[in-house]
Order: sequence, then structure tokens, then C-alpha cells
Amino acid sequence: MRTFDTVVIGGGPAGLAAATAAHENGAKTLLVEREARLGGILKQCIHDGFGLVRFQEKLSGPEYAERFIDAFHAAGIPAMTLTFVTRIVPAHNGGFHVTLVSRDGVETVETKTLVLSTGCRERTAKQVSIHGTRPSGVFTAGTAQHLTNLLGELPTRKCVILGSGDIGLIMARRLTLEGAKVLGVYEAKPTPSGLTRNIHQCLHDYDIPLYLSHTVTRVFGDDRLTAVEIAEVDDKMQPLPGTEQIVECDALILSVGLIPENELAESLGVEIDPKTKGPLCNGQLMTSVDGVFSCGNALHVNDLVDYVSESGECAGKNAALYAGKKRREIPINASKMLSYIVPQRLDLDADNRETVLYFRSRDIQNGCTLKMLVNGEAVFTKKYPFLRPPEMERLTIDFSKYPLDAASKVEFDIEVKAK
Amino acid sequence: MSLVRINKKLHARYGGAVRAVLHDGCIVVQGHLHKWEDVVEACQTAATKYSTTHVVNDIVCDEAKEKPMRLPSLRDKVLDGRKPDVLVIGGGISGVSIARELSKWKLDILLVDKEPDLALQASGRNDGEVHPGIDLSKGSLKHHYIRKGNEMYTQVCKELDVPFQRVGQYVCFNKGYLKPLVALYCLWRKKHDGISDTKLISGEELHRAEPNFGAEFKFAISNPSSGCVCPYGLTIAYAENAVQNGAEVALNTAVVSMQVENGEIQSVETNRGTVYPKLVINAAGVFAEDIAKMANDRFFSIHPRRGTNSILDKKAGAFMHSIASIKEITRSKTHSKGGGILHTVHDNLLVGPDAVETYEKENVATRRESIEHVFAKQKKTMPRLSERDIITYFTGVRAPTFEEDFIIEHGRKTKNLIHCAGIQSPGLTTAPAVAIDIAKMAVEMLEKEKAVEPNADFSPIRHGVPVLREMSDEQRAEMIRKNPDYGIMVCRCEEVSKGEILDALRSPICVPTVDGVKKRVRPGMGRCQGGFCSPPVMQIIAEFLGVPLSEVKKSSAESAITFGRTK
Repeated sequence: MRTFDTVVIGGGPAGLAAATAAHENGAKTLLVEREARLGGILKQCIHDGFGLVRFQEKLSGPEYAERFIDAFHAAGIPAMTLTFVTRIVPAHNGGFHVTLVSRDGVETVETKTLVLSTGCRERTAKQVSIHGTRPSGVFTAGTAQHLTNLLGELPTRKCVILGSGDIGLIMARRLTLEGAKVLGVYEAKPTPSGLTRNIHQCLHDYDIPLYLSHTVTRVFGDDRLTAVEIAEVDDKMQPLPGTEQIVECDALILSVGLIPENELAESLGVEIDPKTKGPLCNGQLMTSVDGVFSCGNALHVNDLVDYVSESGECAGKNAALYAGKKRREIPINASKMLSYIVPQRLDLDADNRETVLYFRSRDIQNGCTLKMLVNGEAVFTKKYPFLRPPEMERLTIDFSKYPLDAASKVEFDIEVKAK
Repeated sequence: MSLVRINKKLHARYGGAVRAVLHDGCIVVQGHLHKWEDVVEACQTAATKYSTTHVVNDIVCDEAKEKPMRLPSLRDKVLDGRKPDVLVIGGGISGVSIARELSKWKLDILLVDKEPDLALQASGRNDGEVHPGIDLSKGSLKHHYIRKGNEMYTQVCKELDVPFQRVGQYVCFNKGYLKPLVALYCLWRKKHDGISDTKLISGEELHRAEPNFGAEFKFAISNPSSGCVCPYGLTIAYAENAVQNGAEVALNTAVVSMQVENGEIQSVETNRGTVYPKLVINAAGVFAEDIAKMANDRFFSIHPRRGTNSILDKKAGAFMHSIASIKEITRSKTHSKGGGILHTVHDNLLVGPDAVETYEKENVATRRESIEHVFAKQKKTMPRLSERDIITYFTGVRAPTFEEDFIIEHGRKTKNLIHCAGIQSPGLTTAPAVAIDIAKMAVEMLEKEKAVEPNADFSPIRHGVPVLREMSDEQRAEMIRKNPDYGIMVCRCEEVSKGEILDALRSPICVPTVDGVKKRVRPGMGRCQGGFCSPPVMQIIAEFLGVPLSEVKKSSAESAITFGRTK
């Protein structure tokens, strides 16, 4: 049986960064990727805007991926592509046995640590309660992007986009450039879900209308989609009877949310945060199961790939350095003003001098202050001119500055100035 | 019930709008009503449950602006002039099981279905329960076939290589005081109706078997012989076995009319030419009445009844392992049917169906209120049930008669015709047994003309596509060694390899569409619903057919997925 120090599952931006970081920190590493090529979803993201934080450059998705793929190959780390993990079971020595299926057969390898960089999947039409018939022409934005950018096939001539998530906005522009008519982007929430820059660059610049507080309730068509029913929604995002209208089109493209893929993590008993749908992790991005690390969009849905790479590096490095020590963890709580914070735990015995935290505000806030409270007392504050749920915030905290023990209560809160 | 009494009742309810007359041994209900639900009620008033004197619905209904049957766009002459011994109309579970039983004989068998695949209507749109018959009493055809059908499943599914599990069914009660009454009911069913496996279990026993069931259940009826099967998988398997044994299956082939002379069908017109069968078997589901009418043998009416099921993530599949329903004693007649919960052979949960009368035979659009209704009821059975675990839902349309029993008999006026009509639940369970009887009836009829020889080459064994995810590592490695395509994973949710997809495309009835492949080997059946795998599946199909991607269809000829190359 081949043995490794770290096996990284998923060869997208998180996994590439994790594998490289694990290798640099001395771990004998293997990267496993189910597709034929490395790069993950970036392969199909041919628009620009990647790498602004990390490289201060506007790169396309494949260009961004290429930099990490080059570094990965330069380090000489073995990768198995077109290889699928069917099973992970704990080994007697505290490590894991990972069973891999590929064209070469079935192989089980042993590893001391695991990095799960399995990315996320898209929410589907049925998961947002769209009813009606089952014609062709209902696509998630990612599938439409795959068809358009990787296969060079046009999935629609005239479409409606539901959801103002970033991929939906990107696809609105992309399909317009390919000559398709995008009749509108409909969003059930009263505010857009995607980045502000994408609202401008993908919709406004192309005169594509954005309809807030609207949703698609039904699709029509026995063969190909012929129309969709659109309704206004109330403040609980439930369709309002009597507001229905029929819009004729040949496709419905959905950008209604991403769900971290954690089926492998769950099979290992990893605890999942109901808010992020990713594993509960500590500052080293280790999950509740010793030796299992999580990063990228499997950990939580990121807004920028730059942060995906960063969390990959953190998980990869800590997987390599993992020595099997006992943990002494306290929760990092998020108040109701935040939709979540990652990591959710702090290991008091770990090195927490440069702990990177990611959070999102629950609502749009202008002129507000993020506070870190220890036992109810604010020990750290940071002012923000505004916070928006679609935009993830990143923060580095030196926890060693604060006297924390097992009884300490750590909470992050957002204070909004009274009007 | 006498005609006089029927007309008295109809008059009391609808004034002079409708009346019943006796015609050709049928109760024909005539008149004019505005609403379809009134039409159904009027015909139900005239009908006697399980009677062989059928109600024929001739009421003109304002509301029921029924669209004509959807016809395939295909027009050719491939079947023109064919003279099969038997023409089976309908590629649902009834039609294919009959074709398979007939293929035990040296006969020219042609099965036609208007849809682009088998089991696209009711047979593919149900929960796949193999029923125990606990709710059926002697005197009906349903009861006549239920135990035999149920018992045959073990053997049939083994022969046809279809997954089938006797997971057992529980009918749960939350009123303890009903126990003596229900105990008597079970005893009666056992002694009188031959439902041999039924027994009463305590609440403790129930919760030991299914810890996630509602805590307030006091006792349950347990039927260990109940099982679940993949209903479209079984339909496809039956058809493939029929084809292996010499039958022909023509999809995208609709019967549009018939020429009947001297009480015999002379020819049958399809969109693919005129066929001259010796014998016709009507297994046309919701269209069985239309076929009977074409054959000049309409003596019953179908009132379509739609039902919606939800499919839940495999994670929810771990919550329970059997089939369950809740029995509530309520006075409300409307919307009382909220189905049950079933752990499928693929380890999902299936929740539903409801039952709603409809005049639309082919409207399988789903509605939000169906899901809400079913979940509200089924959460009482298992409080952990959550709409959040839904990965998809579907609607099917059942084909009951007003007598709510099967019609399995020769044409009453037309000689060379056998009806297998009014097949609704438990039609999937009874199909193997019904098929044997109908095949026998058919052979007896054909033998009047000339002797029918057994098919010496008949093999009951059909091998399905190997399922690699269920194999041991050693078996899987061996398969991949022989064919490396088995090692290329295309569908991550359901673990389906390229090799399995190609096997499906090379199977005896090739349906080279995204849905056809999905029904056979499951790519796209999982929680991402084809989000990741549909483009690679399209590529495999395009490559297999040697066509551009824009020629790959979801299902029908008009359901293309892309519009050609980008700029």
C-alpha cells in the first residue's frame, strides 16, 4: 500500500494551494482530482477579475489556475487525475485509508492527514421549489457555463436568469456576448446576491434588467422550455398570488446558491456548521476529526478565489505540520449580526498569532464596527464604511494578545451607529 | 344499484343535467356539466365498485378542454405492412410484461409506445411499492392477482437482474383504542382474503424497527412481504428480455386509428405506417379508453388521477428502511390520500403520492400544493422528514376506471382484442401475474387459427448493466482491467462510470438521450441533478451516435439541449 503524509482531495484552486503548501512544509503529498485536468471550476471561468487581491492583476480563471498548476508541477508533487475517491475509512494507526478508482483500477492508499478541497455544487431548480413540466432548457449557471465555455455550445437564444449570484451575472454577460437575449435577472431577495462590481459590469453595461423581489415559480414546455412564470414575492420570499406573469423564453438559468460538498467529510463524522454547510474548523482549518482539514468552497462559499487559495495554503501547511496533539478548543461565536464566521473554533494550544478569519454580515450595514468580545468585553474593533452579505470580509487576528482560557467566551458582533 | 336509483340520485344532485342509460351492457352517463369534479362524482354515483358493468362517461364537460394526445413528430413507413401476430399497445409495465410472457412462444410480437422511451407515464411515475394487498378484498381482479404478483417478484427480479427488496410495510396508528378493531380487520384479511403475512405489532416493536417514526404511534399493521422495486428499471428490463427473445419494440410510435370490420380489427394506423395484426392487446394506460374506442369496443371509461412524489437525498434515506403510512380516522373525504414514505432500492426516500382527479391525461406538471399537502401528512409518520432534503419531484397520472378495478378480458364486441386496462395501483405488483394470464388468453385465441409453438430459444435471463458502485474493490478492479472506461467516473453523486453509460447505450433497447441514459444507469439522479454530469453525458452520447452536441436530446426529438456552436 502506498503511504503519504497528506492526501489532498480535489484539484481546484484550494486543493492546488493545499498540496503545494503541504509539500513545502515537508509532507509527502498526493493530490487526487476526479476530472482529467487540474484547475477545478476555474477552467470554465474565462472572464477576468481573478487574482486582484493576491497578484494585483486581473487574470482569467484559467490563467489564475495556471499559476498554481505550474507551481504545483514545479514542486514535483504527484497528482492522480480522472481519479475518484469512493471511500475513506480511519486506519488503526490514526491515519486514513483512501480508496481510489481510476482507469488503472482500484487502489487504496494510506495517509496521515487529509485535506478536503472538494468545492461546492449548485442549488437546483427543485431545491428552490420551481414547479411545472420537465423540459430541456433548465440549467444551473455553472452547467450553462460549462456548455458555453468548455464545449463551445450555445445553451439558449432567449433566457431568463433566476438569482443574482455571481455566476448568474457572469453568464448574463457571457450569453449576451454570444448573441443570446437575456430577458432579465430575477432575484427573490430585495438586494442582489452577487458582487457589486458584477452588477455593474455584467448587467448595467449590457442593459440587462435586474428585478428584485421576484422569483420564478413554474416552467412550461413539454419538450424544450417555452416559458416561465414569474411572481413577486413577499418579505418571506413567498410568491404573492395575483402577481404572476408569463415570460416566453427557451431557457431558465439558475444562480440560486452554492452548497459546499461535504459528503466525504460527513462519511468521516466531520461536524458540519449549519450556517456555512461546511465543516466546523479551528484556526488551522482542522475539522472536528483529528487529521482532517478543510479549505476553499468546501469549507464555506467564498466570493473571491484569492481567499480560496489562501485557505488551501493554511489547510495544507497545517496538515503537513500536524503532530497529533490533543486539542483544547473554544468556540468562536458569531452574533446574529453576522451570517457566519470561519473558523468557528480556536485551539488554545495552537499557534494563533496570525489567524485569518472570514465572515459575512447578515444584512447590509453602513458605517459599522466589527467587535471581538471576550467574555462580553470588546478587545478588538474594526470600522467598516459598509458591509454587504455578498461580499465576504477577511480579517487577521493575533489571538495570543488576549488572555484566553477554556472558559473564555469569544464572540464577534457588528455594532451599527444609531441613526 | 338499479338504473332507476342511479337516476334518482343523479337528479337529486344535478337536476336534469345528467342521466344514466343502459347501452350495450354499460351504464352510459350522458348530459352536460361545467366542472370536471362533478363529472367524476356523477360517474362515481352511477358506478358500483368492482362491478363488471362499467360506467361509460359521455358527459360533455365545459371545463375539460382536453388537448389531443401528444403525437411523436416522427413520420416514416418503417412499420408499414407489418403483419405481427400480436400488437401490444403501450410500453408501460403491463405491455412489456405481456410482451415478455408472449416471447415464450414462437410469435411475431410488436410492441409500440408513443413516447421516446419505455415507462414514461404511470409505470415510471409511481413509488415502486410492491404491495401486500392488505387493503384489498375478495371479488376484485386486483385482489385476484395481488398475492401471486407479490410472490412472483423475487423470481422475476432475479431473472431480469433488477434490484428488489422486501423491506416490509407498516401502517401506523396513533389511536390505541382502535387496536382490537384493527386486529379483527387483520384477522379477516388473513383468513378471508388470504393476505397471509399480515400481523399487528406494538408501538415498541415498531419503534425498535424504525426509531425515527412518530413517538405517538401506538401500534401498526406490519406486512413483511411488501417490497420496493425500481418501477422504470423493471419495465425496461422486461422489455429488454422480450426483445432478446425476439419481440420488437417500436418507440415514438403512436396508434392513431384502427380499421374494424365484422367485429375484427383489420389494420392499425400508426405514425410509422399501417400494421395488420392478428391480435391487439390494449395496454395503453390513460389512453386505454381511446384505444378501445378506436377498436369499436369502448365499454369503460378512464378518469385520470394524478399524484406527485418527492425524492429525497440519500442522507435522508438513512432515517428509515421500510415503507410506511399513517392511518388517520378523519371525516374529511377530500385530499385524504397523502401516500406514504418509502425507502427506495437506490437508498433515497420517496414521499407521496397524493391523488387528484384531472381530465388532463398527459399533464405531469408538478404543483407546489401537492408537495405541501403530502409533507404535512407524512411528517406525522416521521417528524424528521424535511422538505429541505428534496432533490426532485415528479407527477404521474393513474388510469382508473369508475369501478376502480382492472379490466382484463377479451374485447366485448371486437374479437381480436384483449384489454389490459384500468391498471392503477397495485398494477405494478400484479403485472407479472396478469401478464401470464393475458399471454395465455392471447395464445389460446391465436391457436384457434393455427397451432402456436413454444419458443425453444427463450431465455428468462436478462443481464442488466453492471453496477460498479455495488461491487467489492476486487470485482471493480477486475471490471476496470477488462474495460478501463469503468474507471472513469462521470456522475459523482451516483458514482456512474463512462463504461456503464456506454453499456446502457449498447443495451437491447437503445435510447440515446440524456433521460434514457439517466433512467438506465442513473447519472443525474443524485443531489446535483445532473449539474456536473449532464455535459459529459451529452458528450458520450454525441460521440456514440457520431452527431454534434446540438443533436443530443434530453428526451423527445424536440428537446434539444443546445443550439449549436458559439461564435
